Amino acid sequence: MSRPAEEAHRAAVDASAPPALMAPPPMPSRLNRVLAVWYRHYRVYCTSLIANATPAVLEPLFFQIAIGFGVGRYLDRTFNGLDYATFMAPGILGMTALYTASFEATHATFVRMRYQKTYSAMLATPLTRQDIFLGELLWCSTKGLLYSAIVACVLALFGNIRSPYAVLIPVAGFFTAMAFAGLSFMVTSVVKNINQFQYYFTAFLTPLIYVSGLMFPVQELPYGLYWGAYFLPMFHVIETFRLVTTGIESTSVSWALYCPFIVLVMALVLGWLGVRAMEKRLTA
Amino acid sequence: MQNGKASGNGTIVELKNVVKNYGELKAVDGISLTIPSGICYALLGPNGAGKSTLSKMIGAMLAADGGSLNVVGFDPWKCQSEVKTRLGVVLQDDAFDEDLDVWSNLEIYGMFFWLRGDAFKEKMRGLLRFMELDGRENKPIQELSGGMRRRLMIARALLNDPQLLILDEPTTGLDPQVRHAIWSTLRKLKAAGMTILLTTHYMEEAAQLADRVGIMNKGRLIAEDTPEGLIETNLPKFVLEFDAQEIPSATAALVKDLKAEQHGDRGFAFSPDEPLLLSALRDHRLRDGTVRRASLEDVFLKLTGRSLDE
Repeated sequence: MSRPAEEAHRAAVDASAPPALMAPPPMPSRLNRVLAVWYRHYRVYCTSLIANATPAVLEPLFFQIAIGFGVGRYLDRTFNGLDYATFMAPGILGMTALYTASFEATHATFVRMRYQKTYSAMLATPLTRQDIFLGELLWCSTKGLLYSAIVACVLALFGNIRSPYAVLIPVAGFFTAMAFAGLSFMVTSVVKNINQFQYYFTAFLTPLIYVSGLMFPVQELPYGLYWGAYFLPMFHVIETFRLVTTGIESTSVSWALYCPFIVLVMALVLGWLGVRAMEKRLTA
Repeated sequence: MQNGKASGNGTIVELKNVVKNYGELKAVDGISLTIPSGICYALLGPNGAGKSTLSKMIGAMLAADGGSLNVVGFDPWKCQSEVKTRLGVVLQDDAFDEDLDVWSNLEIYGMFFWLRGDAFKEKMRGLLRFMELDGRENKPIQELSGGMRRRLMIARALLNDPQLLILDEPTTGLDPQVRHAIWSTLRKLKAAGMTILLTTHYMEEAAQLADRVGIMNKGRLIAEDTPEGLIETNLPKFVLEFDAQEIPSATAALVKDLKAEQHGDRGFAFSPDEPLLLSALRDHRLRDGTVRRASLEDVFLKLTGRSLDE
């Protein structure tokens, strides 16, 4: 063999030689494992950023334009001391966080589990089931943060944001999303097929939003029904958003200042229960 | 024994009486086996024998219902992350992120081990070269062929320098050329000292790669030895295989004279005496008959009464 040929041959052999055996890396910490799950979702999400984010942001804005401004024009009164569109704004923000998290923790999670086998691949790595769903919960909460922030920016352009505490809207979005992601995980852990989520959305979430003070103050519900609203998770979410969007004087109940704490507790409790439920559901 | 030390002459996997039930079904029914460092161990058996279930328990992805497991020095279920940091796993589903390219998929998988930085990028490049996927870094996963996807799965499983590589049916559904290419890769890894656990229902795959073969059937390990040892201890060296329906009288005579066995429409007569089988084949004028060396497939058939691809 001539020299160049010999070198080429050796290079070819070297190229296909297996890598030398080395010691495995140290075990990643729990925090790193959870962040790694988040990072995977972030990377996949960024591949189609516009397509992913546009509908989720447009839907609440159309809602505000059609109902808040459209229907609001015919309403010759104030709501908690505000014009109708401004009254609607906190509920719109809460609804954005709720739907974003609920969709991510139902359909998207189910698809990753059943069809894409994303979790099966993750289970073959140092990630445990708990790491996977803690990461998932963190991701749902992050989307709630992001979308409520974007929608808040547009509502500010509409003139619907009235409080300097509005900088806390993303925080409220984060914990609202966490609470509803946890609740949605519990649903995902029991459904048999993806169509069953329809019941959860149309029979539970949508009516929940409508009776929790998005479109009218709950104390105006007849026959003392407003007492029932005080036990609905979305009521406290919307009151929390009122505090940071339009201020304490626009809230519906005197104890509104407790609502952020109720939302925080719901987020932690429902989030944890949801993670535990999914852990049990995920088979190898 | 929580040592978890890097590969030496130790034992990588030690199972004692491992059990896994799915309701009434005993998927794994009391399996004990040992895999020393540096060998390729093949679990051979038909679909549903419990091979995948067993390899998932070894891979800390599934809890056992009974028995004890020790994998790279740990109880895999109690120390899931510890164990899985040290394993490379190739499952039947590739579960790549279809919208991302080859490079991004590896990068993200690396993050699950918290591997990143320049040294890790070099590692990814090296493994893509080794699996002959260099130049395809920016290809979307959707554009890869079945063989390329499988090679990428193996590259992915090697990112963390595993002490044990678990391969669940690594060549199922691939065409023969790709299968041979993957076998050659696995042989190189073995030569470099990698410990491999392979599940397969291809007798040839086990014969080509494995230092030891465990034959599984209905959740039990029914035989275990080197591939040659399994054949030697269970069967005479040669076999006359024929179409049992072709000439009924000939079949009857072979059953009588040579204790031929019938499985489905195939007949098998075993003997250490090759000329004897050849003359039987000639005498009975069997057109669809052949004399060959006994194989792992024959061992499986003898031990279970059914063939591997049933």
